[in-house]
Amino acid sequence: MNQRLTTDGSFKQHLHWSPDGKRFLFTRIHQGKMALWTMTAEGKDFKRLLPDHKEPHFDGHWSKDGGRIIYVYDKLEGTDGKLSIRSCHADGTEDKTIIPHKAFEESPRWSPDERRILWVSTRDGNPDLYTATAEGKDIKRLTNEIASDLHPSWSPDGKRIAFTSGRNGTQKVHVMEADGSKVKRLTDGDYLEAWPVWSPDGQRIAFVSRKSGNGNIWLMNSDGKSLKNLTDRDAEDSSPTWSPDGKRIAFVSDEDGGADVYSIAVD
Amino acid sequence: MLLFGRQTQRTCQTLHRRAFVQVGASSVLGLSLTNSLQAEGGRTPGSAKSVVLIWLWGGPSQLDTFDPKPKAPLEFRGPFSTIPTKVAGVRFCELFPKLAGMNDKFAVLRTLHTQSNDHGIAGTIGLTGNAAGGTGLDGKPLPGTPQPAMGAVVAKAMAKSGNPAKLPPFLVVGGKLHQGKKSIIGEGGGKLGATYDPFRLEYDPATGTKVPALQLPTEITPERLADRLALQSAFDKSDRLLESASLDQHRRRAFEMLTSPSSRVAFDLSQENEKTVRSYGKTRFGQSCLLARRLVETGVPFVQVNWSDHVEAEEDSGDGGWDHHYRNFQIMQDRHAAWLDRTVSAFLADLDERGLLKTTLVIAVGEFGRTPKINDKAGREHHPGCYSALVAGGGVVGGRIVGTSDARAEKPADTPLTPADLCATVHHAIGLTSEQITGMGLTPAGRLIEELF
Repeated sequence: MNQRLTTDGSFKQHLHWSPDGKRFLFTRIHQGKMALWTMTAEGKDFKRLLPDHKEPHFDGHWSKDGGRIIYVYDKLEGTDGKLSIRSCHADGTEDKTIIPHKAFEESPRWSPDERRILWVSTRDGNPDLYTATAEGKDIKRLTNEIASDLHPSWSPDGKRIAFTSGRNGTQKVHVMEADGSKVKRLTDGDYLEAWPVWSPDGQRIAFVSRKSGNGNIWLMNSDGKSLKNLTDRDAEDSSPTWSPDGKRIAFVSDEDGGADVYSIAVD
Repeated sequence: MLLFGRQTQRTCQTLHRRAFVQVGASSVLGLSLTNSLQAEGGRTPGSAKSVVLIWLWGGPSQLDTFDPKPKAPLEFRGPFSTIPTKVAGVRFCELFPKLAGMNDKFAVLRTLHTQSNDHGIAGTIGLTGNAAGGTGLDGKPLPGTPQPAMGAVVAKAMAKSGNPAKLPPFLVVGGKLHQGKKSIIGEGGGKLGATYDPFRLEYDPATGTKVPALQLPTEITPERLADRLALQSAFDKSDRLLESASLDQHRRRAFEMLTSPSSRVAFDLSQENEKTVRSYGKTRFGQSCLLARRLVETGVPFVQVNWSDHVEAEEDSGDGGWDHHYRNFQIMQDRHAAWLDRTVSAFLADLDERGLLKTTLVIAVGEFGRTPKINDKAGREHHPGCYSALVAGGGVVGGRIVGTSDARAEKPADTPLTPADLCATVHHAIGLTSEQITGMGLTPAGRLIEELF
């Protein structure tokens, strides 16, 4: 059963449930500004994470202990933005650049042990996946494809990475080892898929699929089997995130005309 | 809800093609063609009573909307698949399922091309059909007097037809179009004069409809709009402050409109039922299109809805522009495609259900397209060589695809079309003849896109 958490309708995406289950971190466009916000797990108490930032910033991700947040900062210059990866404490303090702008740096994710970060960069010509230390050193390229590799997500044990790739012609969910080896496509079909996220126990992956003709939240086992449309309805659903106990998935949906956050129980 | 506000200053293939006699540009709207069409049993010019131009500022990608190229190499076609549409054999990008499900209601032009890859100049061409006076990034205006916007020509032609709410004949919903901090030439009356400049409305999802021309004291709240005396007093006070001998014409019009109960009703989206509001999408663009429908209902001849006032997707990021030099595919997935699909499909369905589509010509187009070759920032650059437009209503036959682009949507393979052709088609749809255009002191240009009718 869907539970609607917000009603303001402002654009939201990149929803991430905090490790203690008490708050959400998300990207929101409010009064013409794209920024990181947090709210309670009940959809109350909206707060700007970094109210002093004038430039767009988005796609935040909590570290496993909930103490730090990593995100994308977009410095506008001319008709381009200069994307970089920054991190801050969960209260917004100690805000600093981790990966300076070299190309288009986005979708940063802490490794479960918080020692490394994983992100998407176009520094070698098109979107591929890279890792670096938490300080932005020791950059390693994990994928090397002419197609875009996007939307990375560490498995809870840090041994594997789920991501989407268009290497077979359509953007589908793939998995690989954390060092970039043993890439395997998990899903088939001539329709777009995006934003895979592992369940806390690592057994399942939730993701966005257009298999039904519009974007819904789908579930599958981590081997790609037992596919199920979790939000089977005529709406654009996106940005799935698991509750820490693995019992619910929250997501953003335009069901009511705007962009609002809903959650749904997972069997 | 209706509010005052201040303006923010920031920055084909042819499925069915009737035999068509190509005629010279200067006579394309003339009687000979009209007679020819009538003789064929085709629709006569002038079936449109209103025109709605949905201006997709920044230039959407033709490949990622209505002219996908699934057989092109990966570095051209991008990550999106294609989906079938209601018209057999026609496919759209998979991000547009709602429009794909109703393309029997609209036509697509796949072979538009323009002369400039500069937003400033291409914008002028797109809005007026002519580059004269257009100003690019270098700040130097091109030779010639700026031509009037499509809306200004329609406004002049149809001003006398009037509408019950006494609304201006040319309304723009959305901010003034900019490139950087410079306004674009071509949104106004041009050589027809300021009388035919558009009257601007803005819609803010948080606060409702705004009238930027009325920069009134904050104590004048929406609730006091009905109080004509209070409004008059505020105007008077405002004018004294400005030490102005006469009221700006736009502000006079605004005053007249806002003290007219019928026009205030036209602006008030709270009168719409929740289902309708939801169907359009609760975005700035969505509600702007809903406002456009209400304006059309009251008889406004030309409504232009600006998706954004800046080309960039990030700036004024409420709805952000279509200039996707970087993150094109992510932005399309995240926002732009879903919003365009939802709103335009709802708008066309709503017009159709109300019996207004046959008398309302709707065009959704930007100033150019985007390069087929994906750049090293997962984006696409400006591309004047080939782009698409959606055209519906006002006598346009739904389901048609006009023009075929080449294998990578880089250039027209046949039927090259220009913004001037689109202007000529608008003129045709409202029944404006070349003689009438000449009578306005303008030179008819472009050819009627006869394949649409």
